[in-house]
Amino acid sequence: MSSPLPMTPSDRVRIVVATSVMLTFISYWRAAAIVLNDLASSAFYAAGIAEQAIGKSAPWFIVAVMLFSFTVRAVYVESCSMFVRGGVYRVVKEALGGTLAKISVSALMFDYMLTGPISGVSAGQYIAGLINDILATAYTHGWLPQAVHTPGVTPHVDVNLTSVVFAVVVTIYFWWQNVKGIHESSEKALRVMQITTVMVVILLAWSAVTVFHQGYQAVPWPTPANLHFTPESLGFLKNFPNLPKMFGILGILMAFGHSVLAMSGEETLAQVNRELAHPKLINLKRAAVIIAIYSFVFTGITALLSVMMIPDSVRVPVYKDNLIAGLAMYLWAPQLVRLLFRAFVVLVGFLILSGAVNTAIIGSNGVLNRVSEDGVLTDWFRFPHRRYGTSYRIINMVVALQLFTILASRGNVYVLGEAYAFGVIWSFTFNSLAMLVLRVKYKGERGWKVPPNLRIGGHEIPVGLASVFLVLLSTAIVNLFTKSVATVAGVTFAAVFFGIFTVSERVNRKKIALAQAGMKEHFQLLQRDTVNREPLGIRPGNVLVPVRDYNTLNHLKWVLERTDTQEQDVVVMTARISQFGAAAYDLSLEQIFSDYEQLLFTRAVSIAESFGKHVSLLVVPARDVWAAIAQTANNLEASAVVSGTSSKMTAQEQAFEMGRAWEAMPNPKRQFLLQIVHVDGKVDTFHIGPHSPSMKTEDIHLVHRLWLHITREQGLDKLHHNDILTEALTRFARDYAGRERDDILKDLRKITKQPLKTRPIGGDGNRTSLSPPEEIGPARPKKTEGGPPSPPVVGPE
Amino acid sequence: MLVTVLIRILETLFVAGTIGSCLVLVLSGIEDLETLFGFGHKQGSAENKEQTPAS
Repeated sequence: MSSPLPMTPSDRVRIVVATSVMLTFISYWRAAAIVLNDLASSAFYAAGIAEQAIGKSAPWFIVAVMLFSFTVRAVYVESCSMFVRGGVYRVVKEALGGTLAKISVSALMFDYMLTGPISGVSAGQYIAGLINDILATAYTHGWLPQAVHTPGVTPHVDVNLTSVVFAVVVTIYFWWQNVKGIHESSEKALRVMQITTVMVVILLAWSAVTVFHQGYQAVPWPTPANLHFTPESLGFLKNFPNLPKMFGILGILMAFGHSVLAMSGEETLAQVNRELAHPKLINLKRAAVIIAIYSFVFTGITALLSVMMIPDSVRVPVYKDNLIAGLAMYLWAPQLVRLLFRAFVVLVGFLILSGAVNTAIIGSNGVLNRVSEDGVLTDWFRFPHRRYGTSYRIINMVVALQLFTILASRGNVYVLGEAYAFGVIWSFTFNSLAMLVLRVKYKGERGWKVPPNLRIGGHEIPVGLASVFLVLLSTAIVNLFTKSVATVAGVTFAAVFFGIFTVSERVNRKKIALAQAGMKEHFQLLQRDTVNREPLGIRPGNVLVPVRDYNTLNHLKWVLERTDTQEQDVVVMTARISQFGAAAYDLSLEQIFSDYEQLLFTRAVSIAESFGKHVSLLVVPARDVWAAIAQTANNLEASAVVSGTSSKMTAQEQAFEMGRAWEAMPNPKRQFLLQIVHVDGKVDTFHIGPHSPSMKTEDIHLVHRLWLHITREQGLDKLHHNDILTEALTRFARDYAGRERDDILKDLRKITKQPLKTRPIGGDGNRTSLSPPEEIGPARPKKTEGGPPSPPVVGPE
Repeated sequence: MLVTVLIRILETLFVAGTIGSCLVLVLSGIEDLETLFGFGHKQGSAENKEQTPAS
């Protein structure tokens, strides 16, 4: 982008870029639930994989890993307490340089790439195992008709094949959800964790009763003598089977390396940090400790119980890939009850593991988007989907790699687990190394440090951080030798991604320099933490025009045709959306206002210039577009928001979402009009927030007649019309909250002639009590305009 | 011989790291208890009180 005459600073278009993300903040309980959805999912497969690799003493190593995860969590808390922007690549690059940053991101991608397949396949294993046990029970009791099975053969499904099919179906389902950009909520994560907690409490209590009644077998102590490595778990060291016993600590280290998978998911903590409510650091630490205790109890204790309660003859041969289901089958209860509880375990496993498949796609998409914004991947990857606006090319690539991994694994959880451990340990190692280096390099704000830190001669020695790094590094190095499949797959994957990143970065370098020069020449970016009228220089009562696609700016033209910008300001706004839990750090200024936003605003400005009118430009980072628009309209004291139609929802649904976002905002808040401009010029208008209803003439007459009658009564001569309305509404609210509710709804349906599913703007549709009356509002459009031009902005009635 | 030395170095790193990590576990555990149950809450341990201003 070049210009024959250089522009002076005053000629440049001023754009206000808000850098604080417009989020609906979450409590530390919800944050803990989101992380645990990922972290606790490993309880379903980690112990089984570890026992196959190192033998019966594996649960002690799982417990050790879970204790060590407390320290890894501390590293993540320190990482989150640093006020840095720009994504994981930029932060690691700051600490370790470009090459190690690319390798680190490649390891993180390998981690994400395997989270989905291992979770999907593991869920499939639990489901297939349950199906087979139900079939076996039915067969034993003669409940199966002879026509549906071969006589003398217990009917069963192929466990690995079923797991592959299930994992493929779940992955494809979440691929489509992510392409459509379906909004993810913390509510769902909280519900899943509530159900999981019920299962964990029942399982632990029931196991305690079982151990008390039936006794238990001891778990061998974690000594070198009790470690039994298979040729597979020795990897490249299979020709030296005595090595672990010759060097006792090496054996322990190898066993620890085979169990490290149990703490996978810890990295999600960094991704929910941005969304935590104030006070952020304290809430982060609270969430972190809840996560650590929960995962220690769930993953660590169930691993111990599985060896204590499940006989050796079946634990690995039958239940290696669905160990918690096996635990359910050896509880002290009749078989049918055990089978029912196992079905519950499988349901919980399905919920939590399927959630992890989705988290993996969201996480990979988030990381690659940030990497792309940093110029390490070409813009081609980030090109938005024509209909849904999502970065579908990245999602397609991630899911294609995940599907390939699922098919290549042939449903073998052990192989997937070994490979996954490579990504997990190296991504933790790079993160702790970066934190260690940043202790020296980074001079900015840091809310908390991993203890202990010694001061010698004015220098701080980060003893704690260095210790965690040493454990991670030694484990990662040993894993390189003991996990041959993982090493080959991980190194190949990382090398391919490193190559892609390096080539892309070179291709992008020139382009980015040109784009930045163009941006500096044409736009003046004003960075602000929050959105308000002052930096935009606008008056109250302005019109806010949200834009996303530079091909669909008809609603902006509609506003400019009808607005005298001398009298009323027009603000063109775009929300820079980052998905829930998709990034560990806030976006930097250049990431918020990237080349896409540059193109979008160039179009918007040229439209405004064609009308000879001025528009103010604003970019806000956000997680939810509706929350961003509602908060921006409120902060700017806008009287109207004019939007285009959505490809995903009707105008009514758009208004409902806006109403819901408005209701979720804290007070004080102002009402505004939402006008949705259709392609054919038709406009739907909605009131957002409480507003005076328009009254029918007969209702006004009725109020007046009542007023005439009542004021004749003794002591009521000073009554006003509005007193009658107040009394009527109070009585109505009381009846609605009581027994009359159904009758009232029936009458209202007759009046409105609307179907049952109609939802009020700002209401949840299921309200049973009348809390603030302003929460109920009309769902139907107030006006529908077409043909003759009319002022776009009307004040509240 | 070289392999033995390398393995011993690796073992030393692991043992040293494990001992230090135990310290991290205990110290951060005490802070965690304070954070979780709110008694005698402080913003961080002695060295953590020191904060550099935003650059």
